[in-house]
Amino acid sequence: MAMLKTEEWYDLARATTWTPRYVAPRELFPRELSDVHDLPDEAFDAFDEPYKVTYRDYVRTQREKDVGAYSVRAALARGKFYDNAAPGWQALLQLHFGAATFLEYGSVSAFARATRFGKAGGMRNMATFGSLDEIRHAQVHLRFAYDYLPRSRAFDWAHKAPRTDNWVIISERHTFDDIEHTRDATSFAVMTNFAFETCFTNLQFVALSADAARSGDHTFATMLQTIQSDEARHSQIGEPLLRIMIEHGKKAEAQRLLDVSFWRCWKQFSPLSGICMDYYTPLEHREHSFKEFMQEWVSEQFIRKILDLGLDRPWYWDIFLEELDTFHHAQQIGVYLYRPTEWWHPIAGVSPEERGWLEDKYPGWNETFGACWDVIIGNLLARRTEATIPEPLPMICNMSGFELTGVPGRKGKVVDYTLDYRGRRYHFGSAVDRWIFEQEPERYAGHRSIVDRYAAAVMPQTADGVLDYMGMSPPERGTDRTGYAWVEPYRRTRGKAA
Amino acid sequence: MAAFPLVVNFVGDYGLKVLLVDAELTIAEVAAEAARQLAGVVVPPVAPGETLRVRVQGRGDTLPDDVKLTDAGLIEMETVEIHRERAS
Repeated sequence: MAMLKTEEWYDLARATTWTPRYVAPRELFPRELSDVHDLPDEAFDAFDEPYKVTYRDYVRTQREKDVGAYSVRAALARGKFYDNAAPGWQALLQLHFGAATFLEYGSVSAFARATRFGKAGGMRNMATFGSLDEIRHAQVHLRFAYDYLPRSRAFDWAHKAPRTDNWVIISERHTFDDIEHTRDATSFAVMTNFAFETCFTNLQFVALSADAARSGDHTFATMLQTIQSDEARHSQIGEPLLRIMIEHGKKAEAQRLLDVSFWRCWKQFSPLSGICMDYYTPLEHREHSFKEFMQEWVSEQFIRKILDLGLDRPWYWDIFLEELDTFHHAQQIGVYLYRPTEWWHPIAGVSPEERGWLEDKYPGWNETFGACWDVIIGNLLARRTEATIPEPLPMICNMSGFELTGVPGRKGKVVDYTLDYRGRRYHFGSAVDRWIFEQEPERYAGHRSIVDRYAAAVMPQTADGVLDYMGMSPPERGTDRTGYAWVEPYRRTRGKAA
Repeated sequence: MAAFPLVVNFVGDYGLKVLLVDAELTIAEVAAEAARQLAGVVVPPVAPGETLRVRVQGRGDTLPDDVKLTDAGLIEMETVEIHRERAS
């Protein structure tokens, strides 16, 4: 029997916006779950995904991806890549698998809601594939992390992370609950598919994959590549929805969703990808700095896409450009200092050679961020290791969940952007974080950061009390992965002074 | 003691810290406690001849050294800046 060509039946087959007979359309697609923007029902008829795929083709392609990824894993399983990898790369793998796996798993249900409550047939169809994608991503993350478990207990966090109140995990949950799990299907498409997946997954998967290949980690590189090819497909749910919103007079709402989500994702990926690219990736394997990658993928490609759609640059673009030079550098200091609070074993990444690279890529780094590192180095040279872990907790931003930071040193500045709301003082790391809160205060007001919980004595107000609350049993607490070997070159040049 | 949480910006640090202090301490004692926990850890030690001053973020005037925390009009989780002043 002759088969129809895909283009001859595809559009008809996914035109599933039928007329319900037993319930009202509003009951079938409740406003809160489908579209809080009150777009007319017929507006969704215009949804046209740029990338079309049949189930048969989808399954075949996904199988090929899995065969490729698992074949590379099997071929390299007997090698000792992990054991011989640079300490920074080991830290990167530990961080990535603990931080990313549960996000992939959570995305399964986020896409499933879009499958059920999306108002366009094509959107529901693509979201179905998205849900299947995310199942595969969670599985491949868990499987590959499991391989590393005999090497380090840190990989147990691929499974454990979401069931803890570790500060990094609280931060991730706060962000992705906001843009992915507590929005209607239309807003989800703009905030997750467009803002998050079009822009930021490129960072963690394309850039990191390239760094992995250069570092000889072909297992990780292949895994990331197969994931990114899925992201590139299902992220395209967002753009048709944005076009529909703009065409029906909802540009301001679309812009606000985009502005909120872009910033929330930036605050997650700047520390995650920024530290991995500029500190954890071995110097000899770095091609671009985090800032250079952001400039190419975000400042140019993503913004061009936004402008082409008729949207504007986010209002805070100048603030974003300033943070490209600063935020992840400040976070890296904190991540190193508060290492017992982390499931991975961080590295400093500031040997004399690495500082030269940082100064080259980020002029002024030595005078600012380097000033804090100089104090840390002085303590290590004097063998005052205990002085490299601060006694007080860091202040946490009530929006990002990360440390409230700025620029250190004599010319530096740290500003706490505060807001009093219903008798409580909130603290934010930037004017943008505060602006997001002000858009929907009731959405965010009830959340307590790890520091709010500490100040309210939810946990014992001791170091062990805080660590236990975060799920960090003594053997799980992060330590310097190099055993402070990175400071030895300084002993030759600064030893006497210390 | 009644623990009083303050958000501290020890000028020169890369970020803010949360300090739990006794509400009965004076402002000078709060500054000394912040220095004990942070100077020589994230910022250089306090040098001889340097005096620490405390001010509420966003306000120009420094708080008097001898006033008690409870009498200084601060709320819990108030953000204060601690900066160094070199004797002339």
